[in-house]
Amino acid sequence: MEIKDFILQIEDSLDGLDPNSIELSTNLKSLKEWDSLAILTLTDTIDLNYGIILKKAEIESCSSVDELYHLVKYKSENK
Amino acid sequence: MPFNAFSDISITGSLTIVPEYKRSIEQETELYGGNKKLIERLKKTLGLNERRIVQNSETAYDLCSEAVSRLIKENKIDVNEIGVIIFVTQTADHSQPGNALKIHGKFRFPTSCAAFDVNLGCSGFVYSLWLAFSLVSGSASSKVLVLAGDTLSRLVNPKDRSVAALFGDAGSATIVEEKKGVGNSYFSLGSNGRGFNDLIVPAGGARLPISNKTKKEFVDEEGNIRTKENLYMNGSEVFNFSIEVIPREIESLLNYARCKISEVDYFVLHQANRYMVQNICKRMNCDLDKFPVKSFEAFGNLSSVSIPGAMAYQMKEVLSSKTKQRVILSGFGVGLSWASCLLNLGKMDFLKWEEYSFK
Repeated sequence: MEIKDFILQIEDSLDGLDPNSIELSTNLKSLKEWDSLAILTLTDTIDLNYGIILKKAEIESCSSVDELYHLVKYKSENK
Repeated sequence: MPFNAFSDISITGSLTIVPEYKRSIEQETELYGGNKKLIERLKKTLGLNERRIVQNSETAYDLCSEAVSRLIKENKIDVNEIGVIIFVTQTADHSQPGNALKIHGKFRFPTSCAAFDVNLGCSGFVYSLWLAFSLVSGSASSKVLVLAGDTLSRLVNPKDRSVAALFGDAGSATIVEEKKGVGNSYFSLGSNGRGFNDLIVPAGGARLPISNKTKKEFVDEEGNIRTKENLYMNGSEVFNFSIEVIPREIESLLNYARCKISEVDYFVLHQANRYMVQNICKRMNCDLDKFPVKSFEAFGNLSSVSIPGAMAYQMKEVLSSKTKQRVILSGFGVGLSWASCLLNLGKMDFLKWEEYSFK
């Protein structure tokens, strides 16, 4: 699981986002595109790519993309 | 999980009635605080477009009653031939008696006809078909009338962004009866009551009767406004449940029926929204052409009526033709609860949707 791909997948799933607007330190909740629809499409993207369905609270508990990446990585390695 | 098989029973006709009044997502700018970009995203991603909603105080009973009335006039129903009336709804006229009895009385069905309601929503049509097939198979009745109706537009708070623009209203009447040579039908059903709170109207029943308190609006953590008498939906939990459970559920039904996924001609899923249907399709690695989804964009999420509504809207020709189609119907939602069936459909006597204007 590559962090580069992960960031691209997040960018793809968040409609209307400017390219390169996400970095490891980005707090997704701070993005103006972040809302319940964004959570839905992100949940879907993560499930399709890594086979993990995250709860909304789990996604929102991550304060950075890096944290979310590690959560997904941990869960996909410990299925 | 109950699995059931039935032989030579089918749906022979279905009529869905929708209110004439249309409301489009573009009319919801106030709801979304003037955020046109969000409306565009909702349109593009979820497929929100138009909904049919009742304008005054019409109910699910009124819509289904209209369907029955038209079918009697067209000689498609003879009240003396119907042995059981099942009315599935989340929005019955009274807490008692049920809508099925109100229909029974209005159209003077014989006293030998049994009539009762089923308290389910989006899974309810398939649950009621399962009951109907069981009753016909057990010789309780040779013909069962399944009425599905919901007017959820009246239960949502117009200021609650998570649900206000999602639901439409409709009522349908479907006939289940013996049909020689149709072959086997298969059902599988399940529920998870731990998701009881994920789709709920908290007040208005015996647990929390309506009062001045339950009429008070409040703002939830998401910033949505509603009262305890309104429908609440935990959208992300319901979405996660659907993409996790439904593909697996359909797969086990197909295993039970010894049918390959490629042998299924159509998958008519509950039209929760376009995104949900597309996502379930993706997880089953199927061709999207086999998943009707246009009725959502025309009617909105019709709760228990979304499956008969989708068949009438998009499959009229194919299901009226002589060629037998293998069709999966799958409903899922409030409860949480789900039900799927694999049917042989074709040569239906009637399959249509019509408008009704309440004046």
